[in-house]
Amino acid sequence: MAVIETRDLWKTYGRIEALKGVSLRVEKGQIYGLLGQNGAGKTTLIKILLGIVRLTHGEASLLGAPAGDVGARRKVGYLPEDHAFPNYHTGYSLMDYYGSLYGVSAAERKKRIPDTLEQVGIAGRMHYKIKTYSKGMKQRLGIAQALMHEPDLIILDEPTDGVDPMGRREIRELMTVLKERGHTIFLNSHLLGEVELICDRVAILQQGKLVREGTIAELTKTKGTFILGLLSGQVFPLEAVAKLGFAVLALPGTTGHFEVTLNEGQTIEPVMKLLSASGLTVTHIVEKKQSLEDVFITLVEGAEPGVDRKRRRARPVGGGE
Amino acid sequence: MRQFFAILKDSYREAVDGFVIYVMLGLSAILILIAASMSFTPVPPADAFSTIVPQFNIIVPDKGRSSAISIENRNTFKTSDVEPSGSGYKLRLTVSGETDRGGEFDPADAAGGKSDKPKGDTFRAAVARWAAVTGETVRVDEKGKVNKNKGAKGVDVALPTKFTVAEQRAVTSAQMEEFLKSQFFMHADMSATVTRVASTEEPTYTFDVTTTGGSAVKGWPHSAKLFFGAATLADDAPLGGTLWLMEDVAINRFGGTFTLLIGMIITSFFIPNMLRKGSVDLLISKPVGRAQLLVFKYIGGLTFMFLVTAFTVGGVWLVVAMRSGFWDPSFLIAIPMLTFTFAILYALSTLTAVFTRSAIAAMLISVGFAFFLFVFGQIKAVSDDALAEAGPNVKASFLKEYVVDFGHDALPRTRELDQLVRRAISDGTLTPAARKLLVRTEETPPLASTFGVSLFHIAWMLGVSCWWFSRRDY
Repeated sequence: MAVIETRDLWKTYGRIEALKGVSLRVEKGQIYGLLGQNGAGKTTLIKILLGIVRLTHGEASLLGAPAGDVGARRKVGYLPEDHAFPNYHTGYSLMDYYGSLYGVSAAERKKRIPDTLEQVGIAGRMHYKIKTYSKGMKQRLGIAQALMHEPDLIILDEPTDGVDPMGRREIRELMTVLKERGHTIFLNSHLLGEVELICDRVAILQQGKLVREGTIAELTKTKGTFILGLLSGQVFPLEAVAKLGFAVLALPGTTGHFEVTLNEGQTIEPVMKLLSASGLTVTHIVEKKQSLEDVFITLVEGAEPGVDRKRRRARPVGGGE
Repeated sequence: MRQFFAILKDSYREAVDGFVIYVMLGLSAILILIAASMSFTPVPPADAFSTIVPQFNIIVPDKGRSSAISIENRNTFKTSDVEPSGSGYKLRLTVSGETDRGGEFDPADAAGGKSDKPKGDTFRAAVARWAAVTGETVRVDEKGKVNKNKGAKGVDVALPTKFTVAEQRAVTSAQMEEFLKSQFFMHADMSATVTRVASTEEPTYTFDVTTTGGSAVKGWPHSAKLFFGAATLADDAPLGGTLWLMEDVAINRFGGTFTLLIGMIITSFFIPNMLRKGSVDLLISKPVGRAQLLVFKYIGGLTFMFLVTAFTVGGVWLVVAMRSGFWDPSFLIAIPMLTFTFAILYALSTLTAVFTRSAIAAMLISVGFAFFLFVFGQIKAVSDDALAEAGPNVKASFLKEYVVDFGHDALPRTRELDQLVRRAISDGTLTPAARKLLVRTEETPPLASTFGVSLFHIAWMLGVSCWWFSRRDY
């Protein structure tokens, strides 16, 4: 059974199409990343899963139940983007309140609240009013409230927003620990480096459509490009290599480093033989790999930034995206 | 239930977070302190009974069951030998009447001679009138003007009935005793045993009376002072009357209006705050149905109001009862009734909040509606009085019939709820005779329609709120 599954999911706000036939599947125990520009439909997708927004067409299920099912929500922890906690609560009382809504017993709450707040690093301030918290602390509290009831699925919308670099690393480590404990994490983040570091699978939304989906390895697979370096003072035979049918260029800002790109079906071996035959010494050879950011930028380059621009003309609607 | 109590607790936290609640509780505490500064000193027993018994000239026919009163002021009631006895007092009551021939002509008497015919007297006639059915009545207004129109404002007064000498002579000592016992209850809310002493010549009658209940009874004259004796509220006024004025006017009217107003201001923030972007997402994502969430939040607001009202009304009641020794619980009815009135206004506040997500809109509309209901209630009362004054043959105008009366039937009954509280307070504090003089029986509104129409409004406003909240995207 998939933890999250959507099939041909559509959401329209009047004339605006926020989601256009999105189909994806998240398996148990994965950390699944959802990427996209502002207005791509990421938050709308999450809100549909939780029943905060109603779908227009298609199917969406959460833990085997229809999206928004009250019983399924009991097993889900959620950190929304731009959350606003009631300022009259302390960190502890807020956790106690939300824990009660999740049906956690008083004895369990008493035990779990300090433990969870300790996990996110704000246990020392748990009896202070939330209005005294920094943005980063509120973000940590948000993560804590999503974890406290030991949910099967944790949905985090921009969890590291406003958190300092050290805090981000701690949150990444926490997510890894949660994954090891068997939790499924559905992560929506703009920080592609983080997503690349911890996610098992990634989906990229563009203007409401799912444009790429797969493992990190699948998405960032190499294009057959190598970086070569020669011994200092040696001259790279650019023309000879080009004559062999390889695209080659000198890397700007470096001395003696060149980028050789293979065509379909080619290997780097002919180039290595040529260099060896020319008496040149290769000191450096690395197969170039593209980052998730490269993939993302390539996909969205030149594209309109989602539905944000249109929304300015239309009546404001519920979802953040 | 865990979720319900969690939301109640959250509403409490939200309410106590602002300064307004502390201002409100501070003012309530001041009110309680002022009530605690009151002192009620009972008038000494001899003086008290001398004040009480002259009121016995006001008779309620049909053995006290009539809605009308009858006045016989030719009898003189005097007390003597007042002394404590058990939980009450022993005293001697002397009634001096006048000869009453019941309209029958006696030639000997008319000639100035001595008649052998048996005579009646005004005391016997008074007892006979008390025991008889009411007969014809007229309505007397506040200025003492008689108005035969029964719809007009005022007190019903039974027209004098002539009793023949034979009828007067038929009055037994037991009936006299029963009459006086009834009068002690009617004018002082005092239990008494009365025994006729057959040692005086008629039309003078003597009775031995033993009362129970001490001085802490509704009709006992008290000297009431405020600010620990610094200011005098009333001298020799019946205890119940002073308490009635204080509970009905000072606490229920002014205190109740103030509490409702502040309560509406504080609670108008509850639901808009819950519906704020970033906050509503968190709540809806929890395993609680949306309608359930909204209703729980609504009940949270009501609970807050209930607690504040209970603190204020309960506190005043407690200190006044301790200071006066008069422990009547009727005033406490104001707690649920004010909460119920608030429930109507808070349902409108909730409806407004769900549609606008604005605390200011919720506050202004609910306070404005409360004011509108008050004004409409006054218009209804004035138009009813005017129509009643005009007499039964005058037809109601189109405006009165189709706007005022229809509006009254259709709108929530906040005025009637207030009348029910006032009725309960007067029942609890005033003597039966004072109630007949001061409270109009038609001021008691029908319970079924008062609560039924109001509940209907609460139900539809909450129903629409839940429907809208459940179908909206956030």
